[in-house]
Amino acid sequence: MNSVDASEHYELNATELAPSLLTIVLDTNPHAWASLESSLPLTKAVANLLVFINAHLACNYANEVAVVASHTTKATWLYPVHDDDVSQQQPADADGDVAMNGENGTGSQSNKYRPFRMVEERVTQRLKQLLDSTNSDDLRGNTSTMLAGALTLALSNINRRTIAWAEKHGGADLEDAAGDGGTGGGNAGGTGPGRYSASNDEERLQSRILIVSVSGSSDSAHQYIPVMNSIFACQRLHIPIDVCKLSGDAVFLQQACDATKGVYMALSEPRGLLQYLMMAFLPDQRSRKHLVLPTRVDVDFRAACFCHRRVVDIGYVCSICLSIFCEPPPDNECLTCGTPLDVGDFGSKPALIPRKKKKKKRVNGTSTVGTPMSTGTPPPG
Amino acid sequence: MAASTSRPLEYLEGLPGMTFNKLYQQPSTALAIFRRMLPDLAKCFVMALLYLKDPLPTQDLELWVKAESKKQRDNALSILGRLHILSKTLTSENVSAYMVTNPFADSLRKALTGSEDSQSFGVFSQHRNEHRKSISDLDEYARRQWEGVLGYMVGTEYLKDSGHPEVSLSKGVKQLLQAGHLVEIYERRTEITKDGFAFVLQDVNTQVWHILILYVESAEAIGMDSVEVLSFLFLLSSLELGQSYEKKYLSPVQLRTLADLADFGIIYQRSPDAPRFYPTRLATTLTSDSSALSGTVGSSLNGPAGPQGASGTGSGFIVIETNYRLYAYTSSPLQISLISLFTTLKYRFPNLITGKITRQSVRRAIDMGITADQIISYLHTHAHPQLRKHNAGHSTSNTAGIPPSILPPTVTDQIRLWQLERDRLRATSGFLFKEFTSLQEYQAPCQYAAEIGVLVWKSDRKRMFFVTRHEQVAAFLRSKKEMR
Repeated sequence: MNSVDASEHYELNATELAPSLLTIVLDTNPHAWASLESSLPLTKAVANLLVFINAHLACNYANEVAVVASHTTKATWLYPVHDDDVSQQQPADADGDVAMNGENGTGSQSNKYRPFRMVEERVTQRLKQLLDSTNSDDLRGNTSTMLAGALTLALSNINRRTIAWAEKHGGADLEDAAGDGGTGGGNAGGTGPGRYSASNDEERLQSRILIVSVSGSSDSAHQYIPVMNSIFACQRLHIPIDVCKLSGDAVFLQQACDATKGVYMALSEPRGLLQYLMMAFLPDQRSRKHLVLPTRVDVDFRAACFCHRRVVDIGYVCSICLSIFCEPPPDNECLTCGTPLDVGDFGSKPALIPRKKKKKKRVNGTSTVGTPMSTGTPPPG
Repeated sequence: MAASTSRPLEYLEGLPGMTFNKLYQQPSTALAIFRRMLPDLAKCFVMALLYLKDPLPTQDLELWVKAESKKQRDNALSILGRLHILSKTLTSENVSAYMVTNPFADSLRKALTGSEDSQSFGVFSQHRNEHRKSISDLDEYARRQWEGVLGYMVGTEYLKDSGHPEVSLSKGVKQLLQAGHLVEIYERRTEITKDGFAFVLQDVNTQVWHILILYVESAEAIGMDSVEVLSFLFLLSSLELGQSYEKKYLSPVQLRTLADLADFGIIYQRSPDAPRFYPTRLATTLTSDSSALSGTVGSSLNGPAGPQGASGTGSGFIVIETNYRLYAYTSSPLQISLISLFTTLKYRFPNLITGKITRQSVRRAIDMGITADQIISYLHTHAHPQLRKHNAGHSTSNTAGIPPSILPPTVTDQIRLWQLERDRLRATSGFLFKEFTSLQEYQAPCQYAAEIGVLVWKSDRKRMFFVTRHEQVAAFLRSKKEMR
């Protein structure tokens, strides 16, 4: 009898498990894949990735997946596909119904769980389209990847799915999300820790982003600002960004993982991709609580300057808008906000003398504060 | 949800090891069991080990899991062991290690890659006919059949006066309900039992599992291979809603099962000898978490799926206030009779009934064998979206630590207290460990039992503890002895 009292509320055990949405950003930069040809060709990597996607879908009936290709010239959806006939090609919605299309032959269909096959067909088909449409002109002189665009696509999809899911399951997010959406971004900063974190994290759709990255960072420095903006958006929405690095080493992606508490792995042996994926990247947020995750200790926190997109160790920061410059901006005016900046005596020692003055002033100040009781405050001026 | 997973899990655990070997031959079964029966952490373990060439040393696995999550880890490993999915072996360096057992690993890999010609996921009907059933038709059919079964249990006279088309239940269904002690028949009158009351208050997914396991249990008696029936059920669960499937690839046992399942609305076929069948939502959501799907199934079963089923809007229809008043937007005689089991009804309007949960009404329900948890979970599953929204938003704003509850806490606590007024004794069957010679010898297994979640009671003074299952604790004691 004594075991129940007012302080211990009975709760339905918190096993209302929300499904998770995994968004994969696949870097399809042909330059980088060409250099990987000997160890892990793209076809093999995609095959591994598809098994990984299936494993993710297998974990929960309502789990969802989305795949974005980050190509040299554009970022595009591989799955779900939006641009075609909407009624035919809707993504798997929350109850797992995948819209049908009757084009399949009898061949291999019965050997494969249907949602798995749907994703596979779409992804391979779209990837083929994408690669076919790439011509040599696109590739000449462009060796980077549209990571910022891909992240933005991924984030907007996550946002849409989260709201749709919350609507369906009547969570509190609905009101918050709608309210925020209605008033626009104006007061978004002022509403505290963000509209999603306001409701219980366990109750909303668990989203995460996995970036399979092959391009180097120096190429993508010109995207520094949009990439960082997406990273901060993820941080605010509690969406971990996992990075699976097959070649090169991306500075900003390390920061992305660090800021969003994601998993960062640079594979020393790309051939073992599937095992890395299964072990490190498959667990969702709930399971991650219990697991020791491979994270990076020595994160490269360097930033790219706003003026020449150079990656810098030490730079100039605008005191108003925190823009970073590798050298004093022309006309001493911030390029972002236009504030006139005074960087004239950089390198001299402005610190010592003013500090002494300050101390004196403060002594004077206290004496003036302490005395006026008897005389009253003298009128200014 | 704990209740919904436990029943199929318990049944599976009771099966002999050889049966598992046979069951896991089918990729669809492996996938369904993986998805449905395992906790999150166990899924991670299986997937991590699935494509490893060598077994993973025990120590590595322990390092992988955070120290404070030891309990979850042991629980996951224990379930995996009981389902014969994970086994302990030795690596080449003679270190004890874990690996995924073979028929299961093979089948799960096949399910993921779709490599072999197993036809484990059903064969589509290629026939394009004009009689295609739409998804809403199937939902309506499933709803009608299932409500018919429940209505039969609660007492069919409710259904007759409401203009529902009478659902004819086959003799097999009635026998099955009787065999499961959900109903008893006295002089041609059907009376619902305590188990039956518990049954009707559960959510649909749990009910379906309950029935299916009864079915599998009884299959043996009428000369069907229970393993084949079971793996067929898992196959059904992986089919797609709204598609028709060919029957000609099925074995005789499967065909027979199919005919029986049609009575429950789990599958649909136009006539018993039609060449095709459609799985309904009841079948395709079998391997989902009940919570994830309760909304959709619930709405398709309780909501206004058809013109006559005008019983509510959206997924839930019950509003309950902190003053114990209950409003249910329903006109379904079945739901009304269910609600009246534990509520004192006051008024009835065309689409609304109101009532109050009182001490008397709850005690009456408890006398009939309904538990407080069942009442609460029923209210929880059918809570009105407005209630969900309001309370979820409300409780997060003031209490950060406690997960938001949909129902008013005063009501749920009070229902439990009313039950506790009666329940002063509870019996748990299990095993008592006693007569430990030293305190250390007692503490280690006791702690282990607590970690794997089987410990029910302990007394440090008497050096005794009581567990619900003894195999692992015994194995633990044995390994201790060997170490010494």
